[in-house]
Amino acid sequence: MLKNLRSKLSWLAIMVGGFILINVGVLTGVINTFIENALVTVGINIILAVGLNLIIGFSGQFSLGHAGFMAIGAYATAIVTQNMATPLGFYLAMALGVVIAIVAALIVGVPTLRLRGDYLAIATMGAAEIIRVVINNLKITNGPAGMFNIPPLASWPTVYILMCVTTVVIVNFIHSRAGRAVMAIRDDDIAAESIGINPTKWKLAAFVLGAATAAIGGSLHASYLQTIAPSDFGIMNSISLLIIVVLGGVGSMTGTFVAAIVLGIIDTALQNFGTLRMVIYALALILLMVFKPSGLLGRYELSFGRKRRARKEAASS
Amino acid sequence: MQTMMQQMINGLSLGSIYALLALGYTMVYGIIKLINFAHGDIYMLGAFWGYYAINYLHFGFVGALLSAMVMASLSGVLIEYLAYRPLRNSPRIAALITAIGVSFFLENGMSFLFGANARNFPQVITTKTYYFFGVGISNVQLLILFTSLVLMVLLQFIIKQTTMGKAMRAVAVDPQAAQLVGINPDHVISFTFALGSALAGAAGVMIGLYYNSIDPLMGMVPGIKAFVAAVVGGIGSVPGAAVGGFLIGLLETGVQAIGLSAYKDAAVYLVLILMLVVLPAGLFGKRQREKV
Amino acid sequence: MTKQLVIDHVSKVFGGLKAVADVSLTINQGALIALIGPNGAGKTTLFNMLTGESGPTTGKITLSTASGDVDISKKKAYQVAKLGVARTFQNIRLFGAMSVKENVLVARTHLYHEDFLGTVLRLPQFYQREHDVGAAADELLDFFDLTAVADEPTASLPYGTQRRVEIVRAVATKPQLLFLDEPAAGMNPEETADLSRLIARVREHFGITVVLIEHDMSLVMNLAEYIYVLDHGAMIAKGTPQVIQRDPQVIRAYLGGDSDA
Repeated sequence: MLKNLRSKLSWLAIMVGGFILINVGVLTGVINTFIENALVTVGINIILAVGLNLIIGFSGQFSLGHAGFMAIGAYATAIVTQNMATPLGFYLAMALGVVIAIVAALIVGVPTLRLRGDYLAIATMGAAEIIRVVINNLKITNGPAGMFNIPPLASWPTVYILMCVTTVVIVNFIHSRAGRAVMAIRDDDIAAESIGINPTKWKLAAFVLGAATAAIGGSLHASYLQTIAPSDFGIMNSISLLIIVVLGGVGSMTGTFVAAIVLGIIDTALQNFGTLRMVIYALALILLMVFKPSGLLGRYELSFGRKRRARKEAASS
Repeated sequence: MQTMMQQMINGLSLGSIYALLALGYTMVYGIIKLINFAHGDIYMLGAFWGYYAINYLHFGFVGALLSAMVMASLSGVLIEYLAYRPLRNSPRIAALITAIGVSFFLENGMSFLFGANARNFPQVITTKTYYFFGVGISNVQLLILFTSLVLMVLLQFIIKQTTMGKAMRAVAVDPQAAQLVGINPDHVISFTFALGSALAGAAGVMIGLYYNSIDPLMGMVPGIKAFVAAVVGGIGSVPGAAVGGFLIGLLETGVQAIGLSAYKDAAVYLVLILMLVVLPAGLFGKRQREKV
Repeated sequence: MTKQLVIDHVSKVFGGLKAVADVSLTINQGALIALIGPNGAGKTTLFNMLTGESGPTTGKITLSTASGDVDISKKKAYQVAKLGVARTFQNIRLFGAMSVKENVLVARTHLYHEDFLGTVLRLPQFYQREHDVGAAADELLDFFDLTAVADEPTASLPYGTQRRVEIVRAVATKPQLLFLDEPAAGMNPEETADLSRLIARVREHFGITVVLIEHDMSLVMNLAEYIYVLDHGAMIAKGTPQVIQRDPQVIRAYLGGDSDA
């Protein structure tokens, strides 16, 4: 019990410390609007990628449709807050987005989650594209032009706090009965069934939770940037989230944080390079994968209280 | 009836382009289990080579087509050698990310070098449209259909009759066993990339002629749709990819014809999902179950 | 004796091939029986049918549970497992990236519930549950002499230890009936003797009915009370070890004779 307390307090200290650090930066002007923007983008990417890592790294389901669920959260927020521009409206909108994303995840997941590997990736990608095409053609979403003048109801502290909350929820989910069941299916689904675990149910649970956090990320994205368009939620956006997860290490939440921050820095540093930016980015990606295919951190997790150990990468096939 | 026939012809023309691309996906996937995300960009490279060959080297259609096939082949083999080969024994997700990286690299590299704007493809063949019972078919469409069919027949011949083709099939079934009987998998994989990329290069030149416009990002969406075609046909199956390509082309023009052109991409993905759920191995694929 | 599992005229056909042909047998509660036969005789196929991995083409399998008899021939593997049937696999199937203790903990998934909010918010009831299930797992690990490796990822363990982890994981589901598919495969005589003692202890301590497939005759003859012999998918003999050892049909099946096995 004491061990748990120490671990909890350490994490709390890190979260509060990070908050204070950014706050001091903003107050002293070290963090200008440009850097704040970059930080918020990193924060939203973390929310999205942590959920995607739950799906890919921990439940072993290769999903390429994360941007679809993000789009649902973003559009729900844009539509609701344009009619109800209050903090209450914002959180109601976010909750609505989460609920719709959960329903969509169930509709997508029930038939497709029995597919394996690349087939599931292609199916989820297709589902996300369908969501995008529907948004592209609806009146309420203002079609391909997208929505603008969305009330700015999410500031950087909102993003920061929600990043902490979603991460804590997902990490706690992983370190529980549910998380163990999900990882067992990832490691060997036939063995998992033989000990009474219903694979469909638990895969769906992880998929739905991941989709719900994607909706939260989308909601913050819409409210912070104030403009959204269907083209913000295409295949390339799902892929850039996948890149964060794989770069950090599939199955390492610490890695997801590190990768999101590193990519944020690279992105900001290359801002003035125009097209060359993407060329360098692509080359860096190829080189990293060729020389470190398990990602920056493999399956390592930062932890307090527990004995530290890097998990053996056994199930890498 | 006339409009339906007209849509059929348009659908088959577009479908033959998808089919040529899908063949590359299916062969590569069959042999190294990699979704070669950069395959659509090889098609783009082929189109750009055709553009330069015609404009600056003053090649005719056949010369542009054949040289584009050679150039695309070389690029495909080079990409496999530099980017995919080092990852052969890595987790598959790492290889997939690398393929995405290569795709980004080609798209942005071409934009950086030659500009991101679309340009007109030189019309080496003056388009003429022939009418049969009110249904129009252009000489370009006929050329696309004819060339695609010739290439597909040629491919089928190479895979079924030549030593290299037999080696390809052997490696696809069991790489270890193939090695034991003296097949060098590296050569076979290079050859597969060369074949697939050549088809993509040819498709690139033909789409340039057909749509009259090319740009560095032109490979993205057709690439994904061609992969869908390969999955629908049954990944790993060569006839499946061809049939899948034609089906996707017909589906797209069909949805457009009934006035739902905004939903044509959604229709393709919906068919994909339904297909995967109902018939996961595709039309021509074989389903394997894991043994306990 | 009460009946635990009644296998009634069960067959399994793959394509045109009859892997298991019209097998009937009854397993009594608390028994320790062995299923033997040459390679390809259909033993694992029979196991797969009895554990819901892949249902029989024809026939009926009835399991006695606390709440009455249940026909399990159409049920899925996880449903059969929840009814109290556990198994190990011929080619070990562990959750490689998870520790030994986690492999045991996860086998308890169906034995308790947890609330989402309590878990993600780490409310006191979460710690209470984790403590309870953890204590039960520790007890099991101690019984199987695995406490020293409890925190090791299973993929890094030696072969013999992995076999033991697979058995403890199966036992952790609180089964009535335990199927062991070639538990001694790849073990040396000393390890086999240890395994033999362990199986006997497990059966006695937990009161589990044990059915095993095994090629190691020293283990079978020394452990099993009753033996069933399969050959070419059909049951060719049954009886006590003494009877089976002298059965001419069994000897022919094993030594070849006119069969091509």
